[in-house]
Amino acid sequence: MKKTFGRILSLSLAAMLLLQGCGKSEKEPAEGFVPRYDKDTEFSLTVAGSYSNFESLEAEFERFYEYYPEASLEYVTMDDYDNVISSALINSEPPDIFTTNTWMVGNEKYDSMFDACEVLSDPELDMDYSCIRESLIWSMDSGDVVMLPIFTSSFGMLVNMDIFEKEGLEVPTDFDELLRVCGKLKSAGYESPVMGADKFSGPGLFNCFVYPMFAYNVMENSDKADALNNLEASAGELMRPSLERLYEFVNSGCIDVEKCREEITDDYDSVIMRFFEGDVPMMFATGDVASGTAKRESKSGAFSAHPFKYRFFVAPSGDDGGYFINSTSLCFSVNKNSRNIEMTNEFMRFLLRREELGNMAGLKRLITPTEDLSFDELYSSLADIPSDRCFSDKETGLMDPAVRQFRAAIYAVGNGDMTVDEAVAAYGSIPEE
Amino acid sequence: MKRRAVIIINLLIMGFILFFIFRYANSKAEESRSNGIVAFEQMTTTTNQIIVNYLEDEQHLCDIWANYVNSSAQDGNPMTADEAISYIRKVKISPEIEGHLIFPESPEMSGISTTASVSDPGEFNVSYKRISIFDNLENVSSDTDVVNLTRAYTNPMSGVQSIAFLNYVTVLDRESGSLKKGLLMRVVPLSTLEQKLVFLKGEYENVEISLVDQEGNYVVHGKSFKNKNFFEYYKSYNESTAEEYENVIREITGGTGTMTIKNVKGEDCILAYTPLETMKTWSLLAYIPADDLVTSRSIDWLLLGIASCGFAALLIFNSIVLMSYNLKLSEAAQQANQANEAKSYFLSTMSHDIRTPMNAILGLNEMVLRESLDENVRMYSENIRTAGNTLLGIINDILDFSKIEAGKMEIINVDYSFVSLLNDLVNMVQKKAEDKGLSFNLDVDRNIPTVLNGDEVRIKQIIINVLSNAVKYTKQGSVTFSLNSRRIEDKPDSIMLRVSVQDTGIGIKPEDMDRLFVAFERIDEKSNRNIEGTGLGMTIVQRFLAMMGSSLEVKSEYGRGSVFSFEIEQKVIKWDPVGNYEEAFYRSLKERVNYHEKFTAPHARVLVVDDTPVNLTVFTNLLKQTALQIDTAESGDECIALFTQKHYDVIFLDHMMPDKDGIETLREMKAIDETPNKDTPVICLTANAVSGMREIYTKAGFDDYLTKPIDAERLEMMLLQYLPKGKVAPALGSDDSDDYALPDFLFNLKEIDVGSGLTHCGSGESYVLTLKMYLDSAEKNAEEIEKYWAAGDIKNTTIKVHALKSTSRVIGALELGEFAARLEKAGDCGDVETLDKELGELISQYRQLAVDLEPLREQDGEEKEDSRPLIDDGDLKEIYSSLSEFCENYDFDSVVNLVEALNKYRIPEDEATRVDAIKKAVDNYDYEMIPGILSGEMG
Repeated sequence: MKKTFGRILSLSLAAMLLLQGCGKSEKEPAEGFVPRYDKDTEFSLTVAGSYSNFESLEAEFERFYEYYPEASLEYVTMDDYDNVISSALINSEPPDIFTTNTWMVGNEKYDSMFDACEVLSDPELDMDYSCIRESLIWSMDSGDVVMLPIFTSSFGMLVNMDIFEKEGLEVPTDFDELLRVCGKLKSAGYESPVMGADKFSGPGLFNCFVYPMFAYNVMENSDKADALNNLEASAGELMRPSLERLYEFVNSGCIDVEKCREEITDDYDSVIMRFFEGDVPMMFATGDVASGTAKRESKSGAFSAHPFKYRFFVAPSGDDGGYFINSTSLCFSVNKNSRNIEMTNEFMRFLLRREELGNMAGLKRLITPTEDLSFDELYSSLADIPSDRCFSDKETGLMDPAVRQFRAAIYAVGNGDMTVDEAVAAYGSIPEE
Repeated sequence: MKRRAVIIINLLIMGFILFFIFRYANSKAEESRSNGIVAFEQMTTTTNQIIVNYLEDEQHLCDIWANYVNSSAQDGNPMTADEAISYIRKVKISPEIEGHLIFPESPEMSGISTTASVSDPGEFNVSYKRISIFDNLENVSSDTDVVNLTRAYTNPMSGVQSIAFLNYVTVLDRESGSLKKGLLMRVVPLSTLEQKLVFLKGEYENVEISLVDQEGNYVVHGKSFKNKNFFEYYKSYNESTAEEYENVIREITGGTGTMTIKNVKGEDCILAYTPLETMKTWSLLAYIPADDLVTSRSIDWLLLGIASCGFAALLIFNSIVLMSYNLKLSEAAQQANQANEAKSYFLSTMSHDIRTPMNAILGLNEMVLRESLDENVRMYSENIRTAGNTLLGIINDILDFSKIEAGKMEIINVDYSFVSLLNDLVNMVQKKAEDKGLSFNLDVDRNIPTVLNGDEVRIKQIIINVLSNAVKYTKQGSVTFSLNSRRIEDKPDSIMLRVSVQDTGIGIKPEDMDRLFVAFERIDEKSNRNIEGTGLGMTIVQRFLAMMGSSLEVKSEYGRGSVFSFEIEQKVIKWDPVGNYEEAFYRSLKERVNYHEKFTAPHARVLVVDDTPVNLTVFTNLLKQTALQIDTAESGDECIALFTQKHYDVIFLDHMMPDKDGIETLREMKAIDETPNKDTPVICLTANAVSGMREIYTKAGFDDYLTKPIDAERLEMMLLQYLPKGKVAPALGSDDSDDYALPDFLFNLKEIDVGSGLTHCGSGESYVLTLKMYLDSAEKNAEEIEKYWAAGDIKNTTIKVHALKSTSRVIGALELGEFAARLEKAGDCGDVETLDKELGELISQYRQLAVDLEPLREQDGEEKEDSRPLIDDGDLKEIYSSLSEFCENYDFDSVVNLVEALNKYRIPEDEATRVDAIKKAVDNYDYEMIPGILSGEMG
């Protein structure tokens, strides 16, 4: 059974919320957590997910134990999570909470999984998640909210600030500046001033550079979004400005794609470790990749020997500047068949508060989904993006198939396998990896 | 001891006890902990065995499955994969256990499951493509003794976290008809294994059992362990070097043991570890909070807590008691302070109030002594002086003591003549001793240097006290005063002076020795009650000696006598030895002279201000013979009036006066510009002799101060210091260095008292001259008396007897004088009978005395040239004028004094006759002739 998800909010409302999203919230801080059950209640909960490590969640378990010392919470990493989670939810030992992603929405493979989700918007549950930016909350067709964002991410680049300081350059904010800065960096001896993983995946370099621009264009032409999501070939024209910009970029000499392919072997570890070598001024990366930097600083011999200051910036792909697309990175859903559903919801009530979500995002080094974006220093540049260039992936209305087609297009154009025209014309049938 | 010190000591003792308890409790806890850890480690080993047994059992079941399938193949009747799974489905008892037969060679790592997928009941195919659990397939052994186990993974069919036991089987490939190798998996939910560990909860409530693989990845883990990997968890929460970290990995994967690690909260936890037997790839970790292993610790803390509370209560109680005592003590101290202040006030008042009348008493007494010729009166007066001085001594003792108490007594070292010091001491004590009929023996080391440096005043005071005590407490026998000196080895500039006073007095009982130096204590009060004193003497002595770095030693035998001695270090200024002091002393006795004014200053004018008229009289009389012009004033205002009118050379101003005291008066005086006394020194008269007075008076603007009762000598010395030198003339015959040697025989004459004679005549020389005149006129006078008596002229007989009385007294023939006085009285009363009976005896004694004085005539011939200074013409005329004035006023005593003064001078030849005539007239009591002699009519 295929369910389609619609956008609930109008663009105007979205724009209004964006203003809130990018700025600091003026709302009163959430009150402290008030347990609803006896402190000595003994119970065990399992949270299942695909993260091999979830230290930020485990830290929350410890904080939760202060209210329920007899509780026992465990995070379980599931092998082949995407394929197994549906079975796991109906087996004899189902997890109480499990991670979900927005890309799962609309994929019938996950229909049973979503069927097993507790409706968190059910007033009877009294689940207060008002601290989460509404633009990040996805709803089912029915209007039910069954997944709530825990982390958000973005597309952009890691910038080696020491190089810019050393060369006396400012971090570029629009495309022209990017070309100019790259020219200077090249003449200063930086072979490929910009690098990234030449991968099909989300953190791939082309995606980081041009996806926000594309998403913004889609949002601006929302009437064509459905055609795009339905993979209608005619809708491919929406990709053209972004593809042309990408083409311009890869042929500008700012980036040596071949070098990237050779030196960066995966879209996560390798990206970070190569960046830590210290000779890459700008490295395309997502927020998820950026979140892995802290842990790897000590693992990089080069960085340990010569540490440098680095920050996350949006890619300067637009003529008037870059775009900050805030995408949901990870959501939590509750198994409605949980054998301990009351305490599971109690834990969710505890977790879905500004303070706890902020703590988790801080530990994970991702962007909090709460209304007050407590940017850490790594993300400090995002605060300067004008509000009209800030938006969430939900607001674009793009569905996963369309996103994947766009990704295939930029992968082909970026690697010279297709021209822009060919890619535009082939929309809907561009071969995916 | 101060309160703070008491509390600190209390706290220290308590701290020590608590520390001891704490240490004891800790060592017990440590012991208990060690035992606990050992037990915990044993538990871990036991658990290990249980788990191993379980795993072996499961592996065994897997092996049975495999063996059955393989035996079919070996029997030539190999099973297909479906048949094998079908067989397993039948034989497996537990529904939650699954059997998977997969073919690792297939691209999807696919196979068949005994149980359908939970999400698709018709699906039995299983794929392990996305589950990386077969990295070490080559290690999977068919050996039945080995456990072949996967890590914990998610069962792709059910989504349940599981482990799988492995063995190889050979099955028939239906399609190819050939045999192929498959991997048989006995898939067991992880929860089954976890349940095996639950039983341990009873023994250790908070124990958490975890299983980790060789890389540290958890197979099973307790809620306290975070991260997916134990070693990463360890690294996150335990600070360690790379080497330590490697050690931890090596230990945990390599053997059995225990270690302390920190958990996420930073608390100490015990981790026991041991590898699972039969399969070296897994290790068992047993985790427990360290505190849980020290069960007896809570009891120790309770003990410690109770002890602490008890001590705290004790401390509070003691503090309260101490505070209440302290409160009482502080009240008592306050009262004592008030009493002390009252004492000081009393001393100050007493000083003034006693010294003021004493000034009058002693001053007036001094007048009596000087002016009275009546021996009885003089004797009474002498007694008054002695008693007065004793009283002053007592007051001074009290004042000294108060000074010492107030810490205001200082040792002031000066250069002093040792002989002079000795003279003063002996002079003061010798007479007292002799008056009591005691023998006063002197034993002075001839080698004592003549000039020393030390606090002469205090040394004198110390020795006087000791000597006076010896005299006071000795009824008969002797007092021996010994002085010796010895050099100090390492101080070549100093000597150690040893002073010793031995008496044959009443001595001190051994039990009284300790009270000897206690202030106001008087030893043997009952038997010594008639001995005057304050009980302060010895205390003061001991305090002074302590200030000089010495102390008084006492040896005493009750009823036999005592020896008081001490040693003091004195710097030597002049090493000349004193020589035979005793001889010098006895000689000096003979040369003792009476008071004589030191100077005359008839043109100098002084003002004396005192509210007590008698003090003014005393003051004026004390200076009468200096011929000073003295103005008096009885109040500050009167003083100021005179101050602005007349010039004075010195002003003496009393401090304590009603209305306007001395200091206020002085202040007003200083403020006056229109005065002829701008530079006149002002000296304060005060009866206050307590410490710090000099500072007060000099600060107030006085140039000096003089204590009352006024010491005549000090007064004159002060005047000599402050009077303009031009107005001061040496007193007639005031040559203090009277070294005229009296003929020795005089001292052997019973009839005369040399001292008394010297007192009346002023000097030895004058005395001898007077004696000679007495001798010269003796026969003539004796004859005249006889002549008048024979003629029955009682009146003239009486007059002549009166003259004999006076002259005899002047030369010290006191008995004869008394005899003459008695007969004079009889003559005055017309008692002819007495005269008749005794006059002969009087004349006989008179003549005998003359005979005894005859050696004087012989000496005359031996006499050297007159070495006396020649009197100045002006002075002589002034004396003539004074004599004339005295005669007019019938002040014959002054006439006698003035004529005696003349004896000290050589008279110019042209005036010798006149002076001799005057002397004769005086000798013959013909005072009425003197004006005639002066005017030139020689009689």
